Amino acid sequence: MLLRLIVGLLFVAMFSFAAAAKETTATIIYDDVTTEVNRAADAGGQLWITTADLKRATRFEVKPQGVCRDELCFPLTKGRKEEFLRHESGASWFNLTAFAQLVQQPVAHDEALATWYFGLRADQRQGLASLRAPDFTLPDMAGTMHSLSDFRGKKVFLVTWASW
Amino acid sequence: MPGWQAIYQQLKDKNFEIISVAQDTNGVKDAGKWITDAHPTYTALIDEKHLVSKLYNMVNVPTGVWIDEKGRIVRPNEVAFVDDRFKNYTGMDSAPYLGALKDWAEKGDKSVYVMSEAKLRDKLAVNDPDILLAAAEFGLGEQLYKSGHLQEAIPHFKEAQRLNPKSWNYKRQAYALSDAKRDYGTTFVDEVQKSGGSKVYYARPDLPAEVSPPEKKQ
Repeated sequence: MLLRLIVGLLFVAMFSFAAAAKETTATIIYDDVTTEVNRAADAGGQLWITTADLKRATRFEVKPQGVCRDELCFPLTKGRKEEFLRHESGASWFNLTAFAQLVQQPVAHDEALATWYFGLRADQRQGLASLRAPDFTLPDMAGTMHSLSDFRGKKVFLVTWASW
Repeated sequence: MPGWQAIYQQLKDKNFEIISVAQDTNGVKDAGKWITDAHPTYTALIDEKHLVSKLYNMVNVPTGVWIDEKGRIVRPNEVAFVDDRFKNYTGMDSAPYLGALKDWAEKGDKSVYVMSEAKLRDKLAVNDPDILLAAAEFGLGEQLYKSGHLQEAIPHFKEAQRLNPKSWNYKRQAYALSDAKRDYGTTFVDEVQKSGGSKVYYARPDLPAEVSPPEKKQ
């Protein structure tokens, strides 16, 4: 019984970021888009942001069916909701690094500059295994955007190069 | 780049397109003049974030991929030289690959250079967590460099190089953004030597031997 209580308290301490980390700012790079957030908490290498900033930085939203963006939805198992969501200091907080782990997304972090880079999620990497050429949209010299998918119906020779 | 324009002129009527993508962190600033000078009529894109290398797991430039009319990869990442400018250095003749490319432009899926699905899967399967994390470290390094923090970027570029030692992109781009000797204790030339020399630095295109152009008799 006592042991269970101690384990329980430890569990609360682990996920209670407010006790472990004070609010700070952070730079988040998600899908190669940079967003500055004014309210962030780095608790033991875990990045918590408000659900409002979650939407701003990643376009993902917490919905009853899971964490969703357009058609894409990642359900959160009931027993694990605490790992991702907290309500503290008058805001809803979301653990973006725990979510990254859930969706098998690599994360790189620079502590000194409070900058977090989120790489490709598993769903974004499936193209190669299926032999579908991953789509991309990039600008030409004039700034006009072109997507690989614009060329469907033609044979495409894709070639990279660099000035270096 | 003028080389690709000549090939495009030859093949563009065969339902064939070229998309070139510059893997330059400084974008137009570094890649622009090459494109302007070549006057390409094919699609020449700028990729400051090395997105295409990331999506396709490319490790060097130039790298070519063939994509068919249905949007499927039919030949994956291979070195794609447009001429023999670097032949003395790499020991590699550009003709076999360019010949294969022309064959595919003409014959499409019937070309012998279209790879089998099994072979494609074998070549494309990458789910190594180290390689995925390397891409994130490199992306972070680029972002820090671009926001004026080169010194802070260097450890992340080094970490990317350590996690994915096969990527020459991570080395070459990082070296180009600073003084390689000072910041990385090495140079591109030294790294090529370490890898076994310039003749093995690029992996040869994996073309079927029986259909390679016949050797000229002396």
